[in-house]
Amino acid sequence: MAYYAQLVLNGVIAGSIYALFAVGLTLVYGVFRFINFAHGELIAWGAYLVLLFALPPISLPLYLALIPAIAGTVLIGVAQDRFVYRHLLQGHRITLLIASIGVSYFLRNTLRLIWGSDLMTYGIRPVRGIQFAGLSITPTQLLMAGTAVLFLVILFVLLTRTLLGKSLRAVADNMELAAVMGVPMQRVRVTVWVLAALFAGVGGFLLALDTNLEPAMGMTNMIKSFAAVLLGGAGNVWGALLGGLFIGMAENIGVAFFSPGYKDFISFALIFLLLILRPQGIFGVLTGMR
Amino acid sequence: MKKMIFLLLGLGVLFCWSPGMAESDEITVGAVTPLTGKLAVYGEGFQQAMLLALDQVNARGGIHGKPMKIAFEDNNSTSKGSVSAIQKLITIHKFPVIFGPAASSNFLAVCPIAQQNRVILIGAESAASAITRCGSYVFRVFPSDRLQGKGVAELALDLGYKEVVLTYVNNDWGVGLADVFKEVFLKNGGRLLDEFAHDEGKTDYRSEVLRIKKNDPEAVVNLTYIKEGATVLKQAYENGVDVQWLMGSASKSPKLVALAGGAAEGVIGTYPTFSQQTPQYRAFKAAWDRKYPGKKLPIFGEYNYDMVKLTARALKAAESMSPEDIRTALMEVSKGYRGVTGDKTFDANGDVGAAYGRWTVKQGGITDYP
Repeated sequence: MAYYAQLVLNGVIAGSIYALFAVGLTLVYGVFRFINFAHGELIAWGAYLVLLFALPPISLPLYLALIPAIAGTVLIGVAQDRFVYRHLLQGHRITLLIASIGVSYFLRNTLRLIWGSDLMTYGIRPVRGIQFAGLSITPTQLLMAGTAVLFLVILFVLLTRTLLGKSLRAVADNMELAAVMGVPMQRVRVTVWVLAALFAGVGGFLLALDTNLEPAMGMTNMIKSFAAVLLGGAGNVWGALLGGLFIGMAENIGVAFFSPGYKDFISFALIFLLLILRPQGIFGVLTGMR
Repeated sequence: MKKMIFLLLGLGVLFCWSPGMAESDEITVGAVTPLTGKLAVYGEGFQQAMLLALDQVNARGGIHGKPMKIAFEDNNSTSKGSVSAIQKLITIHKFPVIFGPAASSNFLAVCPIAQQNRVILIGAESAASAITRCGSYVFRVFPSDRLQGKGVAELALDLGYKEVVLTYVNNDWGVGLADVFKEVFLKNGGRLLDEFAHDEGKTDYRSEVLRIKKNDPEAVVNLTYIKEGATVLKQAYENGVDVQWLMGSASKSPKLVALAGGAAEGVIGTYPTFSQQTPQYRAFKAAWDRKYPGKKLPIFGEYNYDMVKLTARALKAAESMSPEDIRTALMEVSKGYRGVTGDKTFDANGDVGAAYGRWTVKQGGITDYP
């Protein structure tokens, strides 16, 4: 029994990180109506920038290095929009999609150029997990789950309780109408990119803290979060959150029954089925946040 | 019209003549060697080791009194360069034997060409297990990666671990290794508590680790790479899994220790090696120092040396200089042949066996396991 409980726990934690990425991705989709394939690179840049500030010559402790690193990641996110996407918004959505693939290559290869393709690590010594009720959880895992919950709560408050969040939802519903009604478009745009980059950068740092860093680390997670977005119904924030959790749980619990070599197969087969049965996403019915 | 016929005849004669085939006064074999490009740093060493062996063959009368020669063709360290080089050696020079290029990817690019043209191809530094399936004309004196599976099985049994959990990376290489491991391990009284593949390139192997923990084994055989290996070790440690980890040579790297932190401590693994105490090795080393005084032994130099020596033996034993006869002779003379790098007996796939050294992680460094 403890075995299955532990699998569920691991699934929830892995899923909470996917959710963090997926929420950012779906926010961008909700407002700009395109999937930003360079989202994964924000994850990797977040992790690498922490490394930059934590290693000599700067040598900040990790938690301090996090601050300039996340600021840098947010800057990259905003710059994506400022220098590339903004100029293409009037065009076809496919143009944006292809541009984002280009941006993704550019950012990933810049990482390679600076840090090389080799694996890197923050050099934190592994510690034994904390035991309770037959379950084991490491401090890093606790941090991952805690951060995800904190950020998602902040997002919830922002979207439902503030004028900015309400404007954001209005723009997501109908951009032209919102503009006509005097919603400050510029602020909304920047807010969306800041949130997406913030979530990606912090998630990337946590992921790297838990394992290691490599230039392609964003790619694999981008695919998972894209799946979570589809699962939740594209543009639906709470759908993306639940989609992320669902994927994390599916891969981890599946291990009990199938060979872990088919981890990806399990989660993607489930998504495939759901998309056939419910193309609007499983949470399409919950007409919550768009 | 008559003139045309003579011209054609003349051309025909010209094209039929070639150095390798005709009754010439020397025996030449081809070699595709990286003399330029990114592998050039190693290529020079390969070439010197081959030439050292060649000197010795010729000092002892060559091939039935005729001197043996190697025609080197550069491949610019690329697959494309290797293909053009081997095509030149096969179609223009018609050499019956060709020494293949370094790097498995380059070797794999040329092996179908050699097989199709029924020309013998021998490799001295390619480990990929796919080379085993290249065909009947392809040989190598370098041990296949697959053999590691056997090496790890013997390691587990030697250390007294009869019941283990087996996990391997889910690709051609990992599955191949695991198959060989199981075959040897089960045949010798071992038992698997659980076995499962794990995906390449994941960051979260906690569920895999739990499956290991559930079986409560004394030892886990983990046939994987550096990144995956380090992540599994770390997450197992965090989860309180205290087992003896047994691994292959693909994860033998200081990087494993750096990534896994203290969790890599005590891992034991195998890697292919050969004894430096044999008379063959000492003779090779002495000859090298005589020919190239002050020069360090090149990487894989021993394998290149063995390749040329073994080929010379086959050429001497072959009934004719046709690739078919040389192939038969090569299989024959390799039986029990002990070169610098150990036993070079070819199996049916043209692969050789290997001896294994053992490595372990001790105080954060990789050392030989006593």
